[in-house]
Amino acid sequence: MTSSDVPGSHVFDGIRIADFAWVGVGPNATMQMAFHGAEVIRVESSRRPDTFRSSGPRPDGDGSLDASAYFAKFNRGKRSVAINLAHPRGAEVARRLIASADIVTESFAPGFMERIGLSYDEVRKIKPDVIMCSMSMEGQTGPHAKFRGFGLTLQATAGVTGVTGWPDRPPVGTGVAYTDWVATHVAIIGILAALDHRRRTGEGQYVDLSQLEASTLVLDAGVMDAANTGRIAQPLGNRDLRHAPHGVYPCADDHTGCDRWVAIAVTNDDQWRRLALIMDRQDWLESEQLCDATGRLSAQDDLDEGISRWTSTQTVAEVEQLLQAVGVPAHRASNVRDAHEDPQLAHRNHWWTSDHAVIGEMSYETPAWRLSETPPPMPAPSPLLGEDSEYVYRELCGYSEEEFQQLIVDGVVE
Amino acid sequence: MSQTTKGALGPYRVIDLTAEIGALSTMVLAGLGADVIRVEPPAGHPTRQRGPMLREDTTSSLYWAQMNAGKRSITLDLEDEADRERLRGLCETADFLFESDAPGNMAALGLGYEDLRDRAPQLIYVSITPFGQSGPKSMWAASDLIGHVSGGLSSLVGDPDRAPLRPSVEQAYNITALNAGSAAMIALHARHLTGRGQHVDVSMQAAMANTLGNARLYYEMDGIITERAGGARAFADRATRIIYPCADGYVAFVRVPASMIRLHKWMTAEGAEPRFDAERWASFAIAGNTLPTEDEIAELEAEIEQFFAAHGAQALYESGQHFNVMICPVNTMQDIVDSPQLNARAFFAEVDDPALGRLMVPGAPLKMSATPWRTRTAPMPGQHSLEVLEDRTQAQPIGD
Repeated sequence: MTSSDVPGSHVFDGIRIADFAWVGVGPNATMQMAFHGAEVIRVESSRRPDTFRSSGPRPDGDGSLDASAYFAKFNRGKRSVAINLAHPRGAEVARRLIASADIVTESFAPGFMERIGLSYDEVRKIKPDVIMCSMSMEGQTGPHAKFRGFGLTLQATAGVTGVTGWPDRPPVGTGVAYTDWVATHVAIIGILAALDHRRRTGEGQYVDLSQLEASTLVLDAGVMDAANTGRIAQPLGNRDLRHAPHGVYPCADDHTGCDRWVAIAVTNDDQWRRLALIMDRQDWLESEQLCDATGRLSAQDDLDEGISRWTSTQTVAEVEQLLQAVGVPAHRASNVRDAHEDPQLAHRNHWWTSDHAVIGEMSYETPAWRLSETPPPMPAPSPLLGEDSEYVYRELCGYSEEEFQQLIVDGVVE
Repeated sequence: MSQTTKGALGPYRVIDLTAEIGALSTMVLAGLGADVIRVEPPAGHPTRQRGPMLREDTTSSLYWAQMNAGKRSITLDLEDEADRERLRGLCETADFLFESDAPGNMAALGLGYEDLRDRAPQLIYVSITPFGQSGPKSMWAASDLIGHVSGGLSSLVGDPDRAPLRPSVEQAYNITALNAGSAAMIALHARHLTGRGQHVDVSMQAAMANTLGNARLYYEMDGIITERAGGARAFADRATRIIYPCADGYVAFVRVPASMIRLHKWMTAEGAEPRFDAERWASFAIAGNTLPTEDEIAELEAEIEQFFAAHGAQALYESGQHFNVMICPVNTMQDIVDSPQLNARAFFAEVDDPALGRLMVPGAPLKMSATPWRTRTAPMPGQHSLEVLEDRTQAQPIGD
């Protein structure tokens, strides 16, 4: 659907990123820039492989570090160099790579880059106008700077877990590395704003991204409310403080082998009347109490029960069709198969197929945006670990063939 | 070090016509220094009445204060052609326009991308909608909840015996807004190459479909439909518990093999006398073939539960992390306000809001050394109409 000869598609041509980050946030952020032409070089080591290289899914029986589709998803369009940073000469290689880079990204526990002589103060001596972005759990400073975690647990610290669940049960959280998908975009925006500033002024800078702080930004006004009124947002199931009815309701078996649910969200009085009409609930239409949101909010138990009884006799597709035809927000609770086969996502070519040497053909997500004039070309598959080592050591770091071979023998290139 | 106090995006002007789905994107650009001009109807933007409220009224919106921090405000009646023409004129001075109307609505007003492209060729026109500008669902009615279910995330959230869930604070809208921010920044860099703006089409459904982790990949590769697993991490056809009760609430803890020896040391140090075999538990590889039995898991979890039940969430966080165990408190909004980490980093700021008075607000979501984030207040309706509509020369970041 895209072609590499669209003028301007390589938005970041000539921009090189030395990417020391790993797992979710950093790789996801730099991949968006790789799609648009940045040369992103993942600094990796088989001695401390990216967690996602060890995770799944992967083709049957292939336990190798190159077989993870989860890693492949976040690293398309990049190069990989093997540098053993624990080796005394590893940091020297990294310094040479940084000298050739515009942007340095990392997500080690705070303190690691300092220990190997690659703190921002050192990095800017090598490359004065560099943009360096650290993406740790809770920021580079403060009493919890070195606390460990990942998106699955950080969402609890960030307040998301506590407001996800039913009022009469323990909170559940989102079941995915939720904060990763938030912090990624704060990182992209910050790095690209810094790059724009550098383009205009020649000045680089250091960006200290705390995934906790970035994730706190999206809590709607929940934190503002607690800070200024003392009210504490509670988990509401699928209910809403302003709208009713508002829920996810059971549907009839549609022979897909999955339990089926449909979301219905009435967000104004007009939608309410249309819902009641479609459901043929004359009593609801005539009720004075139910004609505004305040009345409906106080009658939610009855409304939910009535809607559940109605949806239970129909398939998700039938409810979607009936309600969307009259402009009432309704959509099946898509499972991963529904998302994979969704006609709207297919219309956008949301899943891009990539043919990886070890994994084979798989489709992966594309950005949530489409650019009318500079669509990115199809990215190369994710790199094998160390696939571009020779290029990086020889071409970018300036080692001779002999030196490169010696570094291999010395255990630096692994 | 700083050469400027304007922020990284100081030279740029943003016209903001968004509803809830997009307000956060322009707020972030304002925090980075852009001159964001909120265009409101003469009666004020509808989300000025959106709760939570500071006082017992319908006008003191904390939501408005947060999502419009650092923006200027002008009022225009877009039902009136003279005002629409004023807006088109303003677009000539702007770098970005963000809107979130249903596809076609802006064009019907003569304010679509095609209408403005010749007159304002530099304009990056960002449209944020539930499903995108075209396609079979592009005209479907939607809401934040519809975003969660249409992208698939809800199927991974909630207890198995009840309905799929969304978080009770609007996450689909806000994640979509952040995606729009990323897209706008890429389009800005594209403009440096092409000299022209373009149309950026952002879809909430697509943004949420990108939050599925590896669950969709498991379907495509292995045919596995991962389902919600309560307070656990759903991982293909297995689930690992995450949420545990403690003395005053809940904590999040993932039982990964690598942390079992550290957990044992920590429990021992706290006098809990753990009975589980740490070496054996550490030997279970995450994706390996040897796995503990259901009974073994239940026995271990009971032991961990008993230990956690004797301590508070914040105390478990401090002491567990001291032993390098990945444990986190399930924080309430108040815990976040009280967080020693956030406060040590001066995350919160006090501002004097023109409508609400002294307010405590969350501050920078990232710390930039040369171009710091600017924490400012939200505007009154039409507060900047005169200065903006009379001075059409260039972006004028406020507060300098």
